[in-house]
Amino acid sequence: MQWSVKFWQRETTKSENLPRPIQAKNPAHLFLAAILIVFTVTLYEQVIAWISLLVVCAVVIRSAIFFAYQKHLPSMRTLNLLAILSTLGLLYSAWSLGFLLGMINLLVLACALKLMQMRSQRDFYQLIVSTLFLLGCGFIFNQSISMTIVYSVLTLMIIVALGFFHAPSLSLGQQTRQLGLLSLQALPIGLLLFLLLPQLPPLWQTPRAKTAESGLAEKITPGDIARLSQSSALAFRATFADGSPNHASRYWRTIVMEDFDGRSWQVHPVRKQQRLLFQSMQQEFNPVLSGPYRDYDIIAEATQQSWLPALDLATPLGAKSQSEIWQSNDFQLISLQPLVSKYQYSVRSFIAAMPYQVLSQFDRELNLSVPKTGNPRTQTWIQDLRTLYPQDTVFTQALLDYFAGQGFSYTLRPSAMFIDPVDTFLFDTRAGFCSHFASALAYSLRLAGIPARLVTGYQGGELSTKVNQADYISVYQYDAHAWVEAWFAETGWRRFDPTALVAPDRINFGLRQAMQEEGSFLADSPFSLARLTNIAVFNQLRLWLADVDYNWSRWVLGFDRQKQQDLFKAIVGKLTPQRLALLGLGIVSIIALLLLLFFLPHWLAGRVSGPQRFYLDALHALSKVGFSRPPWQGPQDFNDTVAQQFSAEIKQPFAQLTALYLHSYYAKTSSAEKETSQTERVTRQMKQHLRKLKRGLRQVKP
Amino acid sequence: MFAQLNSPLQVEAMTQALLEQAIAQSCRALIGKQQQIKLALTCLLANGHLLIEDLPGMGKTTLSHSIAKVLGMQYARIQFTSDLLPADMLGISIFDNQQQQFHFHPGPIFSQLVLADEINRASPKTQSALLEAMEERQVSMDGQTRALPSPFFVIGTQNPLHQAGTYPLPESQLDRFLMRIQLGYPDKEAEKAMLQQPVNGDKLILETVMSCEQFIKAQQEAMQVHASEAVLNYIVRLVTFSRESQQFANPLSPRASKALLSAARGWAFINKRDYVLPEDIQAILPAVAEHRLRSASTDIAAQGSLSKILLEAVDPLVN
Repeated sequence: MQWSVKFWQRETTKSENLPRPIQAKNPAHLFLAAILIVFTVTLYEQVIAWISLLVVCAVVIRSAIFFAYQKHLPSMRTLNLLAILSTLGLLYSAWSLGFLLGMINLLVLACALKLMQMRSQRDFYQLIVSTLFLLGCGFIFNQSISMTIVYSVLTLMIIVALGFFHAPSLSLGQQTRQLGLLSLQALPIGLLLFLLLPQLPPLWQTPRAKTAESGLAEKITPGDIARLSQSSALAFRATFADGSPNHASRYWRTIVMEDFDGRSWQVHPVRKQQRLLFQSMQQEFNPVLSGPYRDYDIIAEATQQSWLPALDLATPLGAKSQSEIWQSNDFQLISLQPLVSKYQYSVRSFIAAMPYQVLSQFDRELNLSVPKTGNPRTQTWIQDLRTLYPQDTVFTQALLDYFAGQGFSYTLRPSAMFIDPVDTFLFDTRAGFCSHFASALAYSLRLAGIPARLVTGYQGGELSTKVNQADYISVYQYDAHAWVEAWFAETGWRRFDPTALVAPDRINFGLRQAMQEEGSFLADSPFSLARLTNIAVFNQLRLWLADVDYNWSRWVLGFDRQKQQDLFKAIVGKLTPQRLALLGLGIVSIIALLLLLFFLPHWLAGRVSGPQRFYLDALHALSKVGFSRPPWQGPQDFNDTVAQQFSAEIKQPFAQLTALYLHSYYAKTSSAEKETSQTERVTRQMKQHLRKLKRGLRQVKP
Repeated sequence: MFAQLNSPLQVEAMTQALLEQAIAQSCRALIGKQQQIKLALTCLLANGHLLIEDLPGMGKTTLSHSIAKVLGMQYARIQFTSDLLPADMLGISIFDNQQQQFHFHPGPIFSQLVLADEINRASPKTQSALLEAMEERQVSMDGQTRALPSPFFVIGTQNPLHQAGTYPLPESQLDRFLMRIQLGYPDKEAEKAMLQQPVNGDKLILETVMSCEQFIKAQQEAMQVHASEAVLNYIVRLVTFSRESQQFANPLSPRASKALLSAARGWAFINKRDYVLPEDIQAILPAVAEHRLRSASTDIAAQGSLSKILLEAVDPLVN
């Protein structure tokens, strides 16, 4: 019986406040599910296994609903419970992964749960935004050209998903056409922004991911490099603008090891402390530099370490490299940040400067220390040899002759040496890899009182020459090498490579050539393209891929301020600050103009005419004191509520304003000639009343 | 120039005063229901038919009767029952034996104001005959078209649908009524005042305030009320919202938007204004739109407040 009364008094029902529900059967959901699963696959190393499983579950649930195998989403209670459990699980399993990986896992987890929960339009938008962000995060780990293509496709798919969400009835063809049109419009703007907007250095540091370090290690036990030589992964590429060094002289110094314990060599702990101290004081070692030099750029792959390979004797070149690279006392280049992604730096190498370097007393002591015990046969042998040849150079030559003449062989499959490894190597097996030779030589020199140390790095590399392109050398992990440096009073530091005596092919042509007989080159990965060089097609394909990858890293990933300036120079000629400023201004104004052309009609349409503007100003002034018009209320009704709420100083001018506004905006306008003068009068009056109203309102404010 | 401008204004003022008197007179019969009386008059000013929907005993008949009396209209009442036939309402041709020809005996519909009481009790056949007459303002019988008197109004009353033994009017026919109003219970004071009225005889004597001609003139003047572009935009936005929002299974038709405008004009005229304000539309919208809308949701509670949803979704000021 209450029914009739209800009509006038009914309250708003709850249903209209709820977010807009969405249809369960929308291709957009399927798209999002596909994007999420593909993304998780691209980050299989980073995403924790059980989170990947959760992603798969979410995708299965969404697909089941889409294909109508299942009608109901998991209930909110289930999902909340799942979310709480997953958070605890994530805290437990991602604690050790570090901040970056933890956050990425959290995002993936959140997306998977959202995909299960997605009910309203808001949920959908949230998922879209999170997925876009996630795709951006993917670039932290994968920057290769193929991955970039994958991520671009995923990004486009997100846009298609958005399209489907808003127009589920359109066909895929129509959606793609729409997408193509949008992308075409966006492409020039994106290109312009990429090429011409200032390339700022990152404002924050990417949190360091605790992933496995790759490449050379800070400690080697002879035999370790043999493991590395099984990898055909790229280590770095060096670009030489004018002429590259020949194969035999490409010794890429990376890590210097001065601490020997009888078995393994490692970076001396004292050096590490020294480095920390010097870096904190922002001091750098300055070697004596003179003689001919060679300039080149290196793009190093991510290693999670700080060591940077370079030819002897290297100094960083250019302001960017100089500020980011620290030079150590043992002539290494060390990046201040570990290489979490590809890193490009410029180097100037003084080819003949090594002999001029001085040896401090401290360095001498470091490079002479040997363990007192172990390798007894070597110790007595060196003692005997030393008495025979008291002169340093003659002694060294005798040592090298021993390597050359005593039937030593070079192999990637050395037998294990556990007790007194140097003894075993020198007198029993006589077969080993570069690190065996280098280790034995450096140890022997030290025993004889000659300062010596082990240097690990890369030797050789694949040269690529093309007509329209600077020469570049690709160095792979299998080019890893170890050699010896010894110091003589008369000649300074000299490089000795015993491997060269045993296997000259290794130094002159590379590992592939040296291992041809043994057949052990990349024996563990039979399908590696690098192994199939005998087949011309595959070799061409491999070289072509290397070329594409090189250009991608050099011109797209390595597009920094320097490259940008070069580009500007090429465009505007000589680069002066004014020209640069003009160019920047021009670009920004072109973009602004395009935006203006697009938005101007909308702005003009939204602009309000005279009397209405004053009235809206008055409304705005009232809303500032916390009294705003409900969006559905008409002006007269609002005037009535104002009259009830406020004192005369406010309600009178507002009533006048309302009356004038209503009269000018809603009433019949009289004939045209009167109109202009009347409008002016109304405007003047409204201005006055507005001023009065604002004065009144000022007193209201505390 | 000014004289020309003034004279119609004076005439308007006179008509408006008459209307005010008419409202005051009707209020004597139906105490505390000024709003509904004004809506009813607005409906007639806009030349539309009125549907009153309420429970028995709420004053539906009294309202229509007093309006007829106050406006000096010729009044007929048809009580709709399930066995009422179209001929009972429209009239019938009877063979006159003496003159050897058929004579048409007009039915109760040939009146200026027809009260179709309990319209939803009649069979659909009779309902549609009435609605046809309402729409065409003429009756076609035996190959002859007979015009209905002018002005011609139908005030239909009906009980709420959940009463037993009713034939609910289809949406297409509900659309023919310009307005649907509900009377509702009077408040305490009004009810008390009603009880305090002297019972002299059994009838309250109402004065006839204006003639039919005057009312027709009032109608013409009301439709001259100025509706600015802002008001038209507001109507368009309201109607568009009802069509674009997913909440309405039956959105508003173009006929509904015309009805909104003419009812708003009538309302502004009754409120002595010569231009329409958004408030006029807001005042008449529940009566004009509620019976034309149907919610998309099956929730019964949502059905009664559709016009409110509509009003609250659209800002009258934004263009």
